[in-house]
Formats: sequence, structure tokens, C-alpha cells
Amino acid sequence: MAHVVRLEGVTKRYPRGFSDGTEPAYASLRHDLTSIGRRLSARARGRTAGETGTLALQDVTFDVDEGESFALVGPNGAGKSTALKLIARISPPTAGRVTIRGRVAALMEVGSAVNTELTGRENIWLYGQILGMSKRDIRRRFDDIVEFSDLARAVDTPVKFFSSGMQLRLGFSIAAHLDPDIFVVDEALAVGDASFQVKCIERMTHLVREGHTLLFVSHSLPVVREVCRRALWLDHGRVVEVGYVDDVLDHYLEQVRLGSEMYPTAGDAIHVHRSKVQSLDESKPALATGSSVEVEILLRSDEDVDDAVIDLSLSDGRAGNLVTMSMLSERTSVKVPKGSSTLRCETGPLPLLPGQYEIWLSVHSEQRAMYYLQPRVVGALVITDGPEERRGDAYFSATRGFGPVHVPFRLKVQSKHSQRDV
Amino acid sequence: MQTEFVIERGGRVGLFAAFRELWSYREITLAFAERNIRVKYKQAVLGIAWAVIQPVVFMIIFTLTIGQLAGVSGGGVDYAAFTLSALVPWTFLSTGVSFGANALISDGALIRKVYFPREVPVVGSILSSAVDFVIALVLFFVVGPFLGAHVSTWWLLSPLLAIPLALLATGVSIVFGALNVYYRDFRYALPFLLQLWLFASPVAYPLSVVSDSWRWLYLVLNPAAGIIDAFTRTLALGEAPDLPPLAIGVAGSLVVSLVGYRAFKALEPNFADVI
Repeated sequence: MAHVVRLEGVTKRYPRGFSDGTEPAYASLRHDLTSIGRRLSARARGRTAGETGTLALQDVTFDVDEGESFALVGPNGAGKSTALKLIARISPPTAGRVTIRGRVAALMEVGSAVNTELTGRENIWLYGQILGMSKRDIRRRFDDIVEFSDLARAVDTPVKFFSSGMQLRLGFSIAAHLDPDIFVVDEALAVGDASFQVKCIERMTHLVREGHTLLFVSHSLPVVREVCRRALWLDHGRVVEVGYVDDVLDHYLEQVRLGSEMYPTAGDAIHVHRSKVQSLDESKPALATGSSVEVEILLRSDEDVDDAVIDLSLSDGRAGNLVTMSMLSERTSVKVPKGSSTLRCETGPLPLLPGQYEIWLSVHSEQRAMYYLQPRVVGALVITDGPEERRGDAYFSATRGFGPVHVPFRLKVQSKHSQRDV
Repeated sequence: MQTEFVIERGGRVGLFAAFRELWSYREITLAFAERNIRVKYKQAVLGIAWAVIQPVVFMIIFTLTIGQLAGVSGGGVDYAAFTLSALVPWTFLSTGVSFGANALISDGALIRKVYFPREVPVVGSILSSAVDFVIALVLFFVVGPFLGAHVSTWWLLSPLLAIPLALLATGVSIVFGALNVYYRDFRYALPFLLQLWLFASPVAYPLSVVSDSWRWLYLVLNPAAGIIDAFTRTLALGEAPDLPPLAIGVAGSLVVSLVGYRAFKALEPNFADVI
């Protein structure tokens, strides 16, 4: 397949930023006027005045094919967002060449750009056009945009009366309904509550299925695994690895873990090859609160292990696990022979609200007090639908305040005289 | 396969290619203009009245001080009619420049996130100022005759005269807009410079006051002068514009807008990094 995005030896240096003290961090006319002489004399001697500023990307080369979903991962400050900005034509490279075939749209956080004096409706019309939709496209998609943003009741209210979350949702909903060839998504999922985030993931997977090319930056590795086929790992502006998403993320996580030394590094005997999560109810493949799932993991072992204790946990990204399904609770261990084996775990109904959850796997030995496989993320569980009795209620999702676990309840207030359900 | 963009450092865009790209973004430019107008009239209680308050207040002040106290003539017509006919185009120029020069800063959030040719919000601001100009012009058509302006078919020329004025406003605001991105100093300097420009233009006094020996230099240094003179001649005196000053004004406006656009395009690529 033909590439639609190609970076060749791209270097990006920001003119200012973290300075070494010789250049101010912000532009001032006084400083620039006084340094003109110095620069001119340097140029006259055939040099450019000392290359200062922040080096965000160094000699980065990669291709993205048409219709591919491609992730950029790496620690903060690795240059991921800078790479996206170059691809979106927002900022030019300092050296090297960026080639783009087709129209690019950035699904970046545009909530802060909408105008607060205008109503939601006016913003959709005007910013839809400014972001690159034709009037015809907007007319056709207007209802979808409103529905996506969950702002149907507020659409004729000036945006200044919106909460910040509503404002972000509006901006993102406009951007999500553009129709470019190449989508660039930068941490856009940090907006909104969990059910909105899930909607955004669905929208992205939908766009990929429709044949759009996707470039995605996120710190949420389960989502990256879910959405993307290939990944690029950047560190300090340099490419560490490009390849299939599972390989790149495994190596990245390994390095992150080695770096933080959270676990003793014994060298794993068991490796995860592939993992799959599916609903046990074949008629309802989309996961909802209360769905039972089957997790299937392909393992490869370097040796015959006969005392493996397997722990499978779910986490919502915060410290600690939400659920741990451990063999310890049954006081058993299993044999994992050398070579390939398949691990299957069927769960009961999961009382989890819509959101993204990480699936962690670890394999250890009780007697020898060591890991065969250190705890690692092996997959993502994405619950898209709320509990049956609360379906479609935007507020009823795993927002931070609500917590991820769903328990059916009835809330009552009782006074001496009356009794009223809330 | 769609259009291929190659982005490299120093990949200069020619003026022609820049115009063509701007043209392909015309709907977006209009969307910016529409947004400006909607926001302006939504926030302001007096709404549309603001378009006429500025020229009317200046007309009253100039008539009382310069017309009455200093005894400056209107160049063959009542002073009030003369100065209002000059204030209508001047207000277009000055609001266009001050809105246009700040457009990049006020749309900084978009510039950091979305690609469009960076002159689009500037041009959108000039277009939205043009709406105020039309309102002010209608005001003149209604009020002018009572102040002593001569009604004439030459009045129909004013929309045409507004074109070089809009080009001049674009050229100036595009340069100040770019400088604004790099140095916020210009944001504070601009209102002051606009005041100086007002007194350097034949708005409070007619062009005929400028002595013959200085007049050509005056017209060349200030392209607005010849155009404003054409406005006062057609609107207040109801006669044909004096062609040589107008030609200098139009030529000067073209030069300013083309040179300004060229400079802007050279500075443009790094806007998102420094804004």
C-alpha cells in the first residue's frame, strides 16, 4: 500500500523554550534588536548564530500507509505532539522533509477555540467551516454532531453558560465529524467523562474501519492497543522502535518498568504473544455493564514451568487493581509447558461502568517467590454501554467521582411525615 | 490520490500560489468574518449603532474644534459634511487595521491547532469591518445632505473606492499582525500609530490645505490620503475625484498590500511555534 504520511530525517527545533540562559524564553524586541549585530556578523562569517532552543525531534523517519491506524507512544516530552503538529502542517520542520497525501484534520482539543459568546449551534456552523467542513457537510451532519456531544438541550444556549466539560465535548464533537483522509488525534480522549471517552474511541475505530488513516497519540496504552495496528516509540525526540503495536508496547512497557525498578528483574520465562477479549454473549458483542467476558491469552514459555500461579487483574489506570482473579484464591498452580499454550479466563458478570480498563497478567511461583512473568498490561477491556436501567444517561458513567463499580441501588429519604423516593 | 504536500524548511510560497491558496480558503475566510460580526453585535448592547457612533462623535469634535475654533475650511463645502465624508472611510481603515492586526493573537488557540493560511483571520477581520463601513456609508447618505453635502451620482463610486482602502488596511494589518505574534510591543504601539496616521491624513483638514510643494510627498508617504480625498470629493462635494492623488493612493495601496503579504508569508510558518 502507498504511504500517505512520510517523515524523512525530520528534525524540529523550537526557537525558544528551555534556554541555557543566553536566550530569553520569550521574545522581546529589545533583546532581538541588540542581538542583530551579533547575528549579522556570525552570518557574514558563514555561520548561523549558535543553534539555540529546544530540540523536539531529531532525525525522525517513518511512513504511515493509507488506511492504517498508527500510534505514537513515549514519555512526556518525547516529541509525539510535535510530530503530529508537523503532520498537521501547523508547524514546519527545521530540517528534513514531511510528505502528506490527502487532507489532514486534527482532532485536537479545540474546545478552547470555540467562541463563548455564540450558541452551540452557531459554533457548530462557524467552527465546522473553519475546521474544514463545507456547509453541505454541516447541514448533513449537524444532528449527529449534536447527538454525539450530548448537548441537545443546550444547543441554543451561549457557550459561556456551558461547563468546561460541555465546552470540550462541543469542540471535540465538531472535530470528530470532519471528513479528511488523515486524522490526527492528540490526547483528545482526555476530554469529557468516561462515557464520552468511550464514544470517542468508538468514533476513531469507526473512522479507521471506513478507511481513514489515523495517527494517534495517547498515554492510555490499552486504548492504543485497541485502536492501532502499528506504533512508533519516541524518546527524547528520537525513534526507538517502529513496528506492530503489541511488540512496540511490550518493549516500551518493559523499559518503563526497568526504568522505575518497581519489580525485581528476574528475566521473564513466560512471554505474552497475543490476547483477545470477547463477550460471552455472542448476540451482544459490545460489552456493557454486567457483561461476562472471555479473556484469551496466547503464551510462550522458554522452559517447562510446573508451579505457575496466574493472576489476572483489571485496573482503571489508577494505582491498584479493581479486580484480581487469582489462582491463589483456589490454592492451585498449573503447569505451563515449554512452547505455546493458551490461557483462557471466563468471568462472571462484570459490574463495571462504561470506560476503558487495563487487563494485567502476572505469573509467579509461590515456593520460589519469583515471577515467571512480571505484572504487565496484556490487553484492554472497553465497556461501551451502561447498565440496562440507566442506558443513555450520560452522567451515569465511571467518572472519577462516581467510581467504576456499578451496584444496583435504591436511594430513599425518610422524614417523619412522608416517604419519598429520590 | 489527492494533493501531495511536501513540507520543508524554507519552502517559500510564491505570491501567486499564496493567492490561489487564499482563494481556496474563501469560505473559511467568510466564516471568520461572519463569526466576528455575530460576536460583535451579540456582545454590544448598542449593536449596529457602534458603526456610526465613532464617525459621528469625531465629526462633532472636529467641527467644534478644528472647523469652528481653528477656522479650517471644508474645501468648498460645509466643514461638518467634509469631515464626515472623510471619517467614514477613515473609520473603515482604522477599525480594519486594529481588528486585523490583533486577529492572529485572538485566534491563537485555533492557530496552534488547525492549519489554514494564517492571513485568513486577518482578511476575515477586514471583511467584517467592511460591514461597519457600509452602515456608516448609509448613514452619510441619509445625514450628509442635511450637513450640506451635495447629492450626486458620484456617490455610487464609493463602494469602488473602498476596494483600495481594504487592500491598504489588509497590507498594514497583516504586517502588524505578524509583528504582533513575535513582539507584543506592537499591540500597544498600534493605537498610538493609528492616531498619528489620522492626523497625517486629510480627515480633519482638506487636502487643499497642504501646500503644493509638499503635496506629492504627502500623498506618496500616505497612500490613504489620495483615497480619502477621493471620498470627500465624491461624497461631500459631489464632483469627480481628483485623479492624480487617487492614482497615487491606489498604487501605494497595491504596493503596501503586496509587499506586506510577501513579508507575512515569509514569517508565517513559525507562527504556531511562537504565538
